Amino acid sequence: MFVRWIVLLVACCALPWSVRAATEIEISAPGEQSIPLALTQFLPDQGPQSARVAAEINEVLNADLDLSGLFRFVDPAAFLDDAGRISLLSNQVNFPQWRMLGAETLIKGSYSLTGEQLVVEARLFDIVNRRLLTGRRYVGEVKDVRRMAHAFADLVLKALTGEEGPFSSRIAYISNQTGHPELWLMDVDGKRPIRLTDHRSIVLNPDFSPRGKEILFTSYRANNPDLYRKEIYSGKEARLSYRPGLNVAGRMAPNEREIALTLSKDGNPEIYLVDISGRVLKRITDNWGIDSDPSWSPDGSRMAFVSNRQGNPHIFIADIFTGKAERLTTQGKYNATPAWNPKGDRIAFTRQEGGRFDIYTIKTDGTDERRLTFGPGNSEHPRWSPDSRFIVYSSDKSGNRAIYVMRADGTGARRLTTLESDSRHPAWSTRW
Amino acid sequence: MKVMQMLKVSMVVLFLCGGLIGCSTTPPVTQMDDQAKVTQADMSQQAEAKGVDEGAVKSEAVPSHDAVAGLERIYFDFDQFTLSADARRILGENAKYLNANNGLQVVIEGHCDERGSDEYNLALGESRALAAKNYLVSLGIDAKRISVISYGEEKPLVSGSSEEAWAQNRRAEFKAVH
Repeated sequence: MFVRWIVLLVACCALPWSVRAATEIEISAPGEQSIPLALTQFLPDQGPQSARVAAEINEVLNADLDLSGLFRFVDPAAFLDDAGRISLLSNQVNFPQWRMLGAETLIKGSYSLTGEQLVVEARLFDIVNRRLLTGRRYVGEVKDVRRMAHAFADLVLKALTGEEGPFSSRIAYISNQTGHPELWLMDVDGKRPIRLTDHRSIVLNPDFSPRGKEILFTSYRANNPDLYRKEIYSGKEARLSYRPGLNVAGRMAPNEREIALTLSKDGNPEIYLVDISGRVLKRITDNWGIDSDPSWSPDGSRMAFVSNRQGNPHIFIADIFTGKAERLTTQGKYNATPAWNPKGDRIAFTRQEGGRFDIYTIKTDGTDERRLTFGPGNSEHPRWSPDSRFIVYSSDKSGNRAIYVMRADGTGARRLTTLESDSRHPAWSTRW
Repeated sequence: MKVMQMLKVSMVVLFLCGGLIGCSTTPPVTQMDDQAKVTQADMSQQAEAKGVDEGAVKSEAVPSHDAVAGLERIYFDFDQFTLSADARRILGENAKYLNANNGLQVVIEGHCDERGSDEYNLALGESRALAAKNYLVSLGIDAKRISVISYGEEKPLVSGSSEEAWAQNRRAEFKAVH
């Protein structure tokens, strides 16, 4: 801390201009630092006032930026007259007023409504250095308002940390609210859920293609657990692999040309590589036990998976080219659902301990294991956000299984889906 | 200690310097600086996901196979697909029934309790069904008469999250194929 101050002050003294130029704030873990942020209500510029538009922008920004763990919100009740003025230029903002409230960053904005047309102007200011950090004009319709706000939250994180937020991505999951387990898609805050399948059978294990345009899933529609792919935008669907027995846990490789898939065609669940038309390219595992649930390394050279070849289910890592597999987890008697993070350095998984499942992460070399959840109930099926900052998972801690999201250090958990039906098996898309 | 004090003093001096220089060198911000940083994003150009047209597709319910009175289900231990002595005894009885009813085609359904991952349980259910099939084949039943399907944890026999419920749900069932 002391050393950091000296470095900062020397830098301040010697190179005041370079300090102002350095926009990025080094943040390695969420919650490590918290920046005092004043988030003002967006104000009507041209056209009629809409309390709903302003409230939705505020709600989205508040939830996204709070989840990031990077900010401490300045109480809006303390805001002074600058909060009520559309002053979106850095020479119009009353910086001393905001400084007095303890804020270091400020979000201001306006909206203009013309019928259904909506233009939103959003700005992020650095109060300490009295300057604009980033701004964007969003043009669209009233129905796009939440997406606009999510997109600006992504931009705010980029301006302050150098890495864009994941708030414009989507989460796919399985819900039984129609009476059958079907595939659903929602925003990262759980809003705007839409149903993607109507199989009225059993739909399972969704996973996004790396570019996010397709979802792979398994369905019993044809009375066998077959692998399907679905284009998200067109709604087109195709059955990809339908060998007798299992065609489950399909995961598209980072190159989008291969799919890792668990098949039982040879009398025992094994992981294979198939091409995008379902033809077998290669067999990855070969032993007496169960091998399933593959998760690709971001460079596509390795794969984490579950195997009980040494007795209990454990996480292994296989080299795709040599087929050689090494055991990753050494603790516990039941480890499952590995998820390799997009950064490439950690794998999340679930472990059963004392009859309950909780979520852990571990470095890919098997060191630095961390437990993220501590009950009550079971927390299962972790998946990473595209920036590796967050983990989405399912938990039954409040009754029915529901989808939750938390920071990668286990803090900030919040529920995304309702408790009225059973929701599980989330998958997080890349940025849209 | 002395070093610390000196550092503290020099920090204060540096701080004052920094503050003064910082203030004195801040150029007036112009509107142009701001505008260069503001770009436009057209949200209406982004494609949206296509949901199901409610009520458009009418598909039939999943056909379920009929239970056969003479074929008893077998149970498994947690995370196991090995056949217990009891399971072998029941499979022996089931083999007798299949021998006596030569025209009967069966599907063995493998099931798990709700605990554990979907993907692993699908594989476990498959292994349970295959273990039962292989044992029946070893007792002389034609492999062509038996197919298998795993439902993982999707079709529990009884609902609930108790040891009793889980024990009943870890099972293989024998159904007639028509």
